Amino acid sequence: MMEWAKESLGKVERSRSARLQQPASFPNTNESESILKNFHPDYSGKERTLVVGPNAGDKKFPLELADLLEADSPLPISYSTKPDIETDILILGGGGAGASAALALEGSGLKTHLATKLRLGDSNTIMAEGGIQAALAENDSPRKHFADALVGGHGENKTELLRILCESGPESIQWLSQHGCLFDKNSDGTFRLRKGGGTSVPRVLACRDYTGLEIMRVLKDAVRLSSVNTLEGHAAVELLDDGNSTVTGAVLYDRKKESFVNVSARAVILATGGSGQLRLQGFPTSNHVGATGDGLVLAYRQGCRLLFLDSYQYHPSGACYPEALAGQLVTEAIRSMGAQVVNAEGDHFINEMAYRDVLAGAIIKETREGRGITTPNGKMGVWLDTPMIDLKNGEGTLAKHFPGLIHRYERYQINPSQTPILIYPTLHYQNGGISVDAKCKTEVNGLWACGEVTGGLHGRNRLMGNSLMDILVFGRRAGESVKDDLPERGPLTMTSLNQFRKTQSNKQSSPIFFPVASKMKLKFGKTEIETEKLDSSTSNESNGFEPPDPFAR
Amino acid sequence: MKKIEIKISGKPISAYAGETIVHALWAAGMSESVQTGCAGGVCGACTVTLRYADGRPGGTELACMKPVEEGMEIFPCPVEPDKAVEPVANADALTLQSVFPTVNRCTKCGSCTTACPMSIPVMDSVMRMQEGSFDKVAEDFTTCIHCGLCRFVCEDKVKPHSMGLWIRRSLGKSQVELKIDVENSDRVEKEWQYLLVEGKQERMQRAKIFRESGGLPE
Repeated sequence: MMEWAKESLGKVERSRSARLQQPASFPNTNESESILKNFHPDYSGKERTLVVGPNAGDKKFPLELADLLEADSPLPISYSTKPDIETDILILGGGGAGASAALALEGSGLKTHLATKLRLGDSNTIMAEGGIQAALAENDSPRKHFADALVGGHGENKTELLRILCESGPESIQWLSQHGCLFDKNSDGTFRLRKGGGTSVPRVLACRDYTGLEIMRVLKDAVRLSSVNTLEGHAAVELLDDGNSTVTGAVLYDRKKESFVNVSARAVILATGGSGQLRLQGFPTSNHVGATGDGLVLAYRQGCRLLFLDSYQYHPSGACYPEALAGQLVTEAIRSMGAQVVNAEGDHFINEMAYRDVLAGAIIKETREGRGITTPNGKMGVWLDTPMIDLKNGEGTLAKHFPGLIHRYERYQINPSQTPILIYPTLHYQNGGISVDAKCKTEVNGLWACGEVTGGLHGRNRLMGNSLMDILVFGRRAGESVKDDLPERGPLTMTSLNQFRKTQSNKQSSPIFFPVASKMKLKFGKTEIETEKLDSSTSNESNGFEPPDPFAR
Repeated sequence: MKKIEIKISGKPISAYAGETIVHALWAAGMSESVQTGCAGGVCGACTVTLRYADGRPGGTELACMKPVEEGMEIFPCPVEPDKAVEPVANADALTLQSVFPTVNRCTKCGSCTTACPMSIPVMDSVMRMQEGSFDKVAEDFTTCIHCGLCRFVCEDKVKPHSMGLWIRRSLGKSQVELKIDVENSDRVEKEWQYLLVEGKQERMQRAKIFRESGGLPE
């Protein structure tokens, strides 16, 4: 396997013993800035100004996202909002944040529904590999965690949120453990802590390279055992309001029955996750198939302001060969254990623990400047020198700590303990999102948000292990906050949506629910509801009916 | 890339050699024929059974991880989730038997091990469950994605992955409670005051100093 790369692989092997002795340096502030400005996709200028909604006039929205935010709702103008389900709290999203919010509400006596367009747990959470940060080491503290994350986020993090994250770390690990999560331990029974990019002390807990899987399967099981009503295969199509700018429910679409379901709720918690499947600028993504930014679209139409959406995380180590694995995550923990990032010439061009955004930029720089490796299918990447792990830590270490990596590559006859693997940045995380306060309240009454759909906590660059902690801390917090501050039930109207529709003139429809490449659509056309699609710029009169097509271009 | 032909539920479609089943179905406009979730091999949604053109024994796979090959026949095989069972701290083999009465019905046919897309030694682990070797079971099921195939193929209604999770969670609940140190509140407050200074640039500068000196500067 990888005969085509034989020459370059030879160079990597020949430079290995020298590299083992000498770590590469970290880029200084000026070098980092230059790498980011010239090579990081956030700086490529593929953005535009939004013309409608709460962020109208803001200049920097990725083109793919801007189109969705300005698009029309797939709901017909004359849609009936008569409630089908009455609940107290509606959680939208079945990943770690949604599940944590649901568990926080258990025992409150409040009726809770959790809706997900996929199945409970099918999410980015379950795909997280490397770990979760909590200040548990003796020489660590929530303040050190805070300082690390703030510097990593370029000082742009919302400090109030970040302080909560860091102070809640240890207790959240305790909570997970009580639910039955098993993290890797040292022989003395203490948690095994690793460094991650930008951590000043070891702070990352893990369950091999399946940390998100371990957390999600435990949370999923706990939710199944709770009194929460789970609506799987139910996509959130629109939020509804009381006619006075308070969110009072949502329109879901039952994929199995192919029909809309109106939910009346006293509060809605958005935990819909990120948007990696928009595949900005043609990048591959490490995200699950549902990560299409639906929550951003829904909240935006209700008047929620969005923050930092010009900032996305391109994870430096996405798989780039074989083709079938393109975009899939190769955890940072492998780099933190000593696998170096090396170019086609065998040069160790940057320290592999540089901040994610800088490292991603540096890898793109190597390939653009001709020092990358080209695969038989014309993709470019650089080497992640995985055999170094066993050389540094003893034979069998890679297989023991990273069974997921070994498992994924073995069907292609590639053994990462023996052969380096090819990597290229992959669209991984939505740094920005909905603006929320310390109680997870959005700027719109009745609407809370938590997890990747929110923005501000991580500033402009998130450190490894802070998103798994984010979804636990703020997911639970959203649940607690709703309990304390629950509005009375209000009527279900499309007032905010209609308001938004007056300003927009885009014929496209959003959310898109599934990646464009999947060609998957929700079959709204088959519903019994007669749809009267109106030209939003002219009148409220119906002019015949046609089934709405959310993918009409 | 080489074009090949495969079949999904008997219907022929063309695909590129080397792409995964999921991507082939996407390109053919047949994404709804196999349920997907993560498309990264960890959620267990896209379970399928396969038959090969050359007569090799087929079997179960995850459509998002399996590359297509000439003449491959794919059949969707969605598995409904099992009912969750409350974990029990300090559980032993008898506790397991009381909540999963089918554990001893295993006839050692080995289908579960063959079906597992994560290469877990499922049948051997069921033996360990019967013995109560729960630490080893927990290790075996570290990589379990709960696709449910081991339960699906079991003719004796043994539920290996459900028991695996139950054992892992039960062990987790038996862990010694994590002690969280109470820190000197004066110092804590001083450190926060230092770090939360007004002004982005000053705050950034202080955070850098704090990181480098491992605390407040002397």
